[in-house]
Amino acid sequence: MTLDRRLTLCAYALFIVAIFAVPLFVDEFGLNRIAKFLVYGMLGIAIALSWGYAGILNLGQGLFFGLGAYMLAMSLKLASPTSLQQGADKPVPDFMLWNAEPGAPTDLCCINKASFLWLPFQHQSVGLVMGIALPVIVAALLGIIVFRKRIEGPFVSIITLALVLLVRLVLVDAQPVTGGFNGLTDLASLEIFGFEFDPYSKGTYWLAAGILTLTLVATRLIVETRAGLVLQAARDDQRRVRYLGFDVSLYQTFFFCVAAAISGVAGMLYVIVAQFASPTFMDLAFSVTMVVWAAVGGRASILGACVGAILINMMEAGISETEALVGAWKAIIGLVFVLTVLFLPRGLAGLLHDQIGRFASVGRDKPRVAHVPMSSAAVTETKEA
Amino acid sequence: MIDVLFIGLSLSSILLLVALGLAITYGAMGVINMAHGEIVMAGAYVAVLSGIWLKTSFYVALPLAFLAAAALGWIIERLVVSRLYGRLLDTLLATWGVSMLIQQAIRLEFGLTFLGIHIAGLGTGLQNVAVPAELQGVVNIAGVELNAYRGFIVLVTVVLTALTWFIMYWTSLGMKVRAIIRNPKMAAACGIDVRKVNALTFAYGSGLAGVAGVMMSGFKGVSPDLGSSMVVDGFMVVVTGGLGSLIGTIMASGLLGETNALVAVATNDILARAVIFAAVILVIVLKPEGLFSFKRR
Repeated sequence: MTLDRRLTLCAYALFIVAIFAVPLFVDEFGLNRIAKFLVYGMLGIAIALSWGYAGILNLGQGLFFGLGAYMLAMSLKLASPTSLQQGADKPVPDFMLWNAEPGAPTDLCCINKASFLWLPFQHQSVGLVMGIALPVIVAALLGIIVFRKRIEGPFVSIITLALVLLVRLVLVDAQPVTGGFNGLTDLASLEIFGFEFDPYSKGTYWLAAGILTLTLVATRLIVETRAGLVLQAARDDQRRVRYLGFDVSLYQTFFFCVAAAISGVAGMLYVIVAQFASPTFMDLAFSVTMVVWAAVGGRASILGACVGAILINMMEAGISETEALVGAWKAIIGLVFVLTVLFLPRGLAGLLHDQIGRFASVGRDKPRVAHVPMSSAAVTETKEA
Repeated sequence: MIDVLFIGLSLSSILLLVALGLAITYGAMGVINMAHGEIVMAGAYVAVLSGIWLKTSFYVALPLAFLAAAALGWIIERLVVSRLYGRLLDTLLATWGVSMLIQQAIRLEFGLTFLGIHIAGLGTGLQNVAVPAELQGVVNIAGVELNAYRGFIVLVTVVLTALTWFIMYWTSLGMKVRAIIRNPKMAAACGIDVRKVNALTFAYGSGLAGVAGVMMSGFKGVSPDLGSSMVVDGFMVVVTGGLGSLIGTIMASGLLGETNALVAVATNDILARAVIFAAVILVIVLKPEGLFSFKRR
């Protein structure tokens, strides 16, 4: 095992121990907050996977997050006591009743033209499954179309950006079915085999921490498989990999779907923790903010992007306690972002890696000549343009 | 029907002014400038501030906004963008950071709010710009009543587009820009000072965006987030029209502006925007080089 690898392993172990140790020091209210940050950490992982490893800058990652969130939120909405009107035995979401045309039957099947779409979500399992399935299906369709056509670089970014804004507009416009601007609020807690995940409980925090750990480790392992290596090769030079006989679009689509699945799960977790789903998940600003997290943490490092997301959000939450600094925070984050892109293209993870590499090489006889960066994403982009 | 088309035309005009700058910078320099929308917003604030502090008329704001926006663009190019040539996606990210900075600068009144100082015309609130009386009425052309202000927008756009056309195709600077669009390395090898031309081009594109901002200030309230949707729309136009193609940008802004107006009349504003996004996705998928592009050499 090389030194590099041992250090990486240490970093992962340290991080996992840290997030599981949090409940020892923090009360339930704080745990709920940190659980949200962990969800953002998952989004950081998704961005690092698609941007750092696949070279696909997705400016619409919020689409998959939002789809996952809405799917589970629909189920939890129907399970919520506000969906059960007095005397009715079948649930109908309250906003549908408010929007119902006079004389419309108070039944989920036909209160408005599209409300039947909600019928399967009466089973909570449907919401849970769709929360992963829908983002993956959308990602697969998009990926097949885009990558088959060999669309690259900024065009993929613009397509994903346009798509997330498109879906957001439709979502807001279809107010009778989706709750429009307000989104879905007043949700029930998730219940699995009789265990209720109350957002302000340790159980929910364990759930978030467990899923994050699982995602982190699984993603790290998957990029080291053969498929992951082909993907990274394709990021560096698509044409060469294609020439070697690999179907590049297949690999890109697969990892695009994995990133979508991670985002979808993150969306569902967010709904469990925060108990609402809102069209703001699909704002352009949110999707770009995810990229900021990953860039500051280290776009080419899965753990780096994850930690970046968590740290930035913790700082933001800390600063937001002081009213006057809320506005300043945005300016600071903008400045930090500009400086990161200019001077630290590999983010904090890259910086740390270099420092440790330098430190380690001092103690040994031979200086490490060929210092291999974690990834050459920054270098490849030079070629791309 | 004609009045709808006319509204579409005025929408297209603003789109065109915004997109021209983006098309030139993207085509010539390979820079995706996400702060372009904030330059539009800055232009709108020049109109607000010149009205309040200099008591000058709306017309004076046009050249003022051009100069201020061009200066802002020049600074952004020198400080940030010039360090990132060749790193296309990084320009996108860095300029996003810049856009956040500019927005917050207006919201926080350049940080003076922390000192308790307030500048009239800045801050988070909505600002209004008074449009001159002669532009407020309607003009009767061939039996159709047309909004004078929208007519003014179209007029200014036509003039500025013609000016851009002239610069691009009849001056040596324009020839240098076109050479850089076709092949930046070869252009540099032929002795063109690419850095200088890039900075000038960037400043000029920003100036056009500033004028677009003044026009927008005339028919909607000015707020710090005025520009954020503009940059997205601008890119939709650039991508639809094809990289570095002036004609393409003009045609695409016409197409998207008119589509927006027509769909908006038939259904609503939200769906109109959704249709635009769907159309742009289709264009990228079916014809990634844009509808009106030329072959790259």
